[in-house]
Amino acid sequence: MQRISLMRTWIATASALVLALATTAAGAHAFLDHASPLVGSTVAAAPHEVTLSFTQSLEPSFSTVEVIGPKGARVDAGKAQISGNTMRVGVKAAGPGTYHVHWHALSVDTHKTQGSFTFHVGQ
Amino acid sequence: MPRLSWCPRACAFALLFVCLPCSSALAHCFVGARFFPATLATDDPCVADELSLPTVSWSKTGDVPPATEWDVSGELSKRITGDLGISIGDTWTQIRQPGNPTLAGFSDLETTLQYQLMKNDQHELAMLLGLIFDWGGTGASNSGIGTPYSQITPTFYFGKGLGDLPDDAGALRAFAITGQIGYQFPTSSYDVAQGAYIPQLLVYGGSIQYSMPYLKSEIKDYQLPDFINHLIPIVEAQFSTPVANNYGNSPITTGTVNPGVIYVSSYYQVGLEAQIPVNRASGTGVGVLGQLHFYLDDMFPSSFGQPLLGGTGAAPRQPSF
Repeated sequence: MQRISLMRTWIATASALVLALATTAAGAHAFLDHASPLVGSTVAAAPHEVTLSFTQSLEPSFSTVEVIGPKGARVDAGKAQISGNTMRVGVKAAGPGTYHVHWHALSVDTHKTQGSFTFHVGQ
Repeated sequence: MPRLSWCPRACAFALLFVCLPCSSALAHCFVGARFFPATLATDDPCVADELSLPTVSWSKTGDVPPATEWDVSGELSKRITGDLGISIGDTWTQIRQPGNPTLAGFSDLETTLQYQLMKNDQHELAMLLGLIFDWGGTGASNSGIGTPYSQITPTFYFGKGLGDLPDDAGALRAFAITGQIGYQFPTSSYDVAQGAYIPQLLVYGGSIQYSMPYLKSEIKDYQLPDFINHLIPIVEAQFSTPVANNYGNSPITTGTVNPGVIYVSSYYQVGLEAQIPVNRASGTGVGVLGQLHFYLDDMFPSSFGQPLLGGTGAAPRQPSF
């Protein structure tokens, strides 16, 4: 009987947490959902912009992206354009090679996320 | 010391929740671009605001004939400051052995004090010190599930992601390892009831893990199904070796190797592992270990998920799925 009571207590506690999870899910965090160009991909020609799509809306003032070209210099056009959950930045033509993208994001519930990846231009 | 009933245990857990004030700073185990999930058989290398409830394991012991053992446990971890954390946990155990009465009850209450030694974002390296205290007399010591004596285990933990390897390493950069080593000594050297010396143990283990979320967001997006991109395949191992005061007891190292997988979501994770005994003394056949784990810092970012005092000045990182 005590075992059944214990199990019920655990189940009730876990259920309450799942419920709490469900009710707080609206205030989530900004995960990188996908990028264009794709993370680690190879594209034939240098893109005119890099687009990052996140799982949550971003705070524009504290979210940034930086693109480093094949020669090690920044090739992004500066301040990123942020709308909702999308961050995009223009890219200056820098020829074939490996481009590094570094991003920092602050979601609307003030959680910071960051990451980096590369994509390749040319063969 | 009389054994605690379930009610005071529940109150202890509840008190930890109720006493949580609002402050700043949030985190579970993020180190740079790396997210170390909560491992099932060992511990991750970070202080955190987390709840494991429940962790359930089924196994057959190394006794002759083997006994069937169920363990159901819960553990709440809470940061006091950004770098200092405590946890409290307990396990309910049932042991059924043919020809013997079924034993059931709580093990001793376990508390852990942990201090985050360092986190190096660039090298995805984390180190942690812990002091585990099993409170003797708080479990079912009359059935041998708890003990009348306490046990103290100073433990060192580490985690290292391979994301700082050169880009040429490609998908290998999604690997990470964690480890821990502790020295367990009892507060009494002899168990009068059992008529046996109580050994001092070296308790150690670790994990090798491969992060699909890391692969997708940091290395190469293969556009795999979303479910796959949330998985972290893992192999854990845990061992225990008597090193002192082991007169008359078996000197054999016991442990299990646990291959499995962890599904990581934004607010919780679910883990499932097989438990393979490393020798006959460690068990009979393959057991199973499962866990539901909640990230309290993400579920309750402005209340339960805050450290009790002050903040780290750094907001948490989330896995980039």
